[in-house]
Amino acid sequence: MIARLRAKLHRVNAWTFWLGFLGLLLAIGLTGGLLVFWKGLVVTNLTDLVPWGLWITIDLSSIALSAGAFSLCAAVYLIGLKRYEPVARTATFIGLIGYSMAMLSLLLDIGRPERFWHAMVYWNTHSLLWEVTMCVCLYLTVLLFETMPILANFEWLRGRFPKIAAKMEGAHHYAPYLAIAGLCLSMLHQSSLGAVYGVLKARPFWYKPEMAVLFMFSAILGGISLTIFASMFSSRLTPRARVNDALLERLAHFVGWALAAYVYFRAWDWLAMTYTYQPGRSEGLALVTSGPLSFNFWIGEMLIGAIVPMILLLRQSTRQHRFWRMAALLMVVGGVVAYRWDVNLSGLLVVLSYLPGEATVAYASYTPSLVEIMAGMGVIGFGMTAFSLGVRYLKVVDHRFAIEEHESVNVESPVAVTAKA
Amino acid sequence: MPHQLSRRDILKVAALGAAAVAGSRLIRNAEASGSVPHGKHQWAMVIDQSKCTGCGYCTLACQAHNDTAPQNQWNVITEVGELGGHKVFLPRPCMQCAKAPCVEVCPVGASYYRDDGIVMMDYDKCIGCRYCQVACPYQARVFNWKKFEGENPTVPEWGEPEVERRPRGVPEKCSFCYHRIDRGLAHGQMPGVDADATPACVVVCPTGARIFGDLNDPESEVSQILKEHASYRLRDELGTGARVYYLPADPKEMELEVES
Repeated sequence: MIARLRAKLHRVNAWTFWLGFLGLLLAIGLTGGLLVFWKGLVVTNLTDLVPWGLWITIDLSSIALSAGAFSLCAAVYLIGLKRYEPVARTATFIGLIGYSMAMLSLLLDIGRPERFWHAMVYWNTHSLLWEVTMCVCLYLTVLLFETMPILANFEWLRGRFPKIAAKMEGAHHYAPYLAIAGLCLSMLHQSSLGAVYGVLKARPFWYKPEMAVLFMFSAILGGISLTIFASMFSSRLTPRARVNDALLERLAHFVGWALAAYVYFRAWDWLAMTYTYQPGRSEGLALVTSGPLSFNFWIGEMLIGAIVPMILLLRQSTRQHRFWRMAALLMVVGGVVAYRWDVNLSGLLVVLSYLPGEATVAYASYTPSLVEIMAGMGVIGFGMTAFSLGVRYLKVVDHRFAIEEHESVNVESPVAVTAKA
Repeated sequence: MPHQLSRRDILKVAALGAAAVAGSRLIRNAEASGSVPHGKHQWAMVIDQSKCTGCGYCTLACQAHNDTAPQNQWNVITEVGELGGHKVFLPRPCMQCAKAPCVEVCPVGASYYRDDGIVMMDYDKCIGCRYCQVACPYQARVFNWKKFEGENPTVPEWGEPEVERRPRGVPEKCSFCYHRIDRGLAHGQMPGVDADATPACVVVCPTGARIFGDLNDPESEVSQILKEHASYRLRDELGTGARVYYLPADPKEMELEVES
């Protein structure tokens, strides 16, 4: 009986199992999402004191971890590091997925999801959140164009609509221009996401200019790390993903050095924060260094999120060892997510009283509800599904695959093309 | 290669042009949202802590007139201490800041200033992102996590609803009963003087601890009181320019209040 079952199971391959698992995640997410849209945000554990929670963290993290797209595209098409082009392709695809995930989690998070388009129509140019929304939408469009040549790899599309596929492939001619647009838009909103918190005078723990810099810096780190990790991981699981390990190793070396710089900035950020007592700010720091968020901060963010991977990636022996390199990169990704979680909660959990006289500080608390976790799992499941399908059907991770060479700005003019014809 | 250069130049010019347009628009807007509303009237409220007994009538009247859910109080009273054997309270409506963080941060402009200084909410524009709630230094905003359904327990005892109930998914806050002000002015009444044109919490206060009026009118009660008494504003160091002023509790006046 068991033998027969095992024989049957053997026929069901790993891919089907993986799809089943992803399908389960999506089903859980869909249930959670529908509950949110039906019942409203009352199903969350968010309160008037802590109005932003798990979904904002997912939103911030997926945008941050998409930063590999703009930084690698800039490196390839603007700085001219051509050999990284296949990695930039993977990063671009991850970027498209990441920004779609951000949109999904925002849609869950806003109280009136049917009005998501209002920021396009009703402008408050003074609001950082408006700027972020506009940049994210514009950049999602840029990413769509950037992924056109990747989507054109879909066999079915090539067979059925060869002309459309050829047109989509042609979009790569504009890659340098798209890289410029992507760089500008990303620099703007990746830092503005930190500034969303950094400009709030009412929350002393957030109110500091380096929020924008740290968000930007950690996003580039996390984005490149996720790209390398996802490439290596899929190449281990399926022959459809092929990587040039030397290329990824060199990129991982860069991440190691960048981590050293990040540790410096981040340490400076909290060590230089407050010497004397400052209401709200000192409590925020205490929350992070010795309070409920301290494990997250010391272990998640600093030790596992930055210092250990920095050492692993800077030491040649561990960097060349595939397992340790992958482990280190995954740690960086986790560290970026932990940083976003800590930033969001540390500012919200400290409730600075408006009462006069001695400043009284109260502490709020927040643990995500089951529905929040379910819907969050769905968003993450969506990302994993999209990437898996990309690896299988679109050659997203294939370092042998190179689209035709083109100079960074030397694009044939339409006149020349017609003349030739 | 001149061909290559010209393309690059066009790109540069285009980028500069776009940056200039965006920049000028941003600067103009930054000025606009940095300026103080300057209509004919500038409404303000004075709360006398010597007179406030913490009875909570203001909160109940607010709940009835603005039809708020019991958990969504726009006006919150906190006991802040004791003075000469008497408890001291601090009622907190929306401060109607002249430089309101909520207006600055709203991505869609659903929070905005009226000319008379009232910070308004456009509940039809709001997308429910709650950035305003995070930015408000006074916790003046409450979110409609669920729809307020059923009867309002304060109606009709404390008044009749005068505004529409807010839908699920938007934050709400005190509006200085703008509807009463507008209705009153249209009928030739003066807010702060005529009860029908004055915020419900001011009208209902049994000890007269709340005074409402026009800061632009030097003869108004609020202007006179603020000229003669020392007052303070909440979290003034943030530069929000609150339009709710507090007269700190005075033990002597509190004795007089108790006797009368």
